[in-house]
Amino acid sequence: MSSSTSTPSSSKKLNEPNGSSGSGSGATDGEEKKEDRTFECNICLDTARDAVVSMCGHLFCWPCLHQWLETRPSRQVCPVCKAAISKDKVVPLYGRGSTKQEDPREKVPPRPAGQRTEPENGSAFPGFGFGDTGFHMSFGIGAFPFGFFTSTFNFGDPRPSPAPRGTPQHMEEQFLSKVFLWLAVLFIAWLLLA
Amino acid sequence: MAGMSPSERRLQKELMSLVKEPPPGVTVHADLVEKNLLQWIINMEGASGTLYEGESFQLQFKFSNKYPFDSPEVTFVGSNIPVHPHVYSNGHICLSILTDDWSPALSVQAVCLSIVSMLSSCKEKKRPPDNAFYVKTCSKNPKKTKWWYHDDSV
Ligand SMILES: [Zn+2]
Ligand SMILES: [Zn+2]
Repeated sequence: MSSSTSTPSSSKKLNEPNGSSGSGSGATDGEEKKEDRTFECNICLDTARDAVVSMCGHLFCWPCLHQWLETRPSRQVCPVCKAAISKDKVVPLYGRGSTKQEDPREKVPPRPAGQRTEPENGSAFPGFGFGDTGFHMSFGIGAFPFGFFTSTFNFGDPRPSPAPRGTPQHMEEQFLSKVFLWLAVLFIAWLLLA
Repeated sequence: MAGMSPSERRLQKELMSLVKEPPPGVTVHADLVEKNLLQWIINMEGASGTLYEGESFQLQFKFSNKYPFDSPEVTFVGSNIPVHPHVYSNGHICLSILTDDWSPALSVQAVCLSIVSMLSSCKEKKRPPDNAFYVKTCSKNPKKTKWWYHDDSV
């Protein structure tokens, strides 16, 4: 992988204290690591496997990115730059070494569409983000809004949104916000009735 | 690194880079962390030229096995909890990247830098206005709090 000529901008201190003992495993491969870092997945920090790149240019393993998209289905943003991101808008990368030219996105089939609420730990729901509506609410069972004293000062202030206003993306988010708002309302109703 | 879960693999990588190139004023108790990768104690010095110059603080990071998809639970611990408008006297920190704005591309180092800068930009040492009420009523886990984020400019 590492060709002898290209060591892009290794501004590394040459006489680094060699030992850095304590962390038992491989202190010596630090040099190789720096070179490979360009191709590390931004989530697991390993060399990206089944690599995909987002429209904003950020590299991930598809399994890693897929898991992130599943974590917050209501607010799919690039982990690095917070640009909007989705399964259909990532490009699979095929290096020379990779034999099979199959789309990595086929390998981890996306779960059925629609809102699946994962029964995870019974703790918090992965935030229902309400985008930019000025109304932000996420809740977990057993968690109540205790910070509201301070929040009343800036209740109306929308938090910075990943998408600029007026763009189609913004509209889409607005729409999604409404959908999720209704889902949340339904969910609360269900909680009360059940 | 064989036999490690994905979270542990990533934490091990983070630990190595934090030991190697720690941000200024930040040190990690590597020996402790090596024993249990899911719980870190980090020392943080108040930056010079700020209200916290000369003080030192301890941060505790707790990770779930869903890390980095799940944010770490980060609190100030120990005898000196910084007096800051976003830090409750029980050590809970009101910082959006620790909950809503968490991203798996963030790291222990990024969180530390963010907290250093939060402290450094403070202009007046005081507790959050709802400190007494919050501390009495909150859950032990700050992630269970629904934070209404304060003005980010402080
Ligand atoms: Zn990955
Ligand atoms: Zn990006």
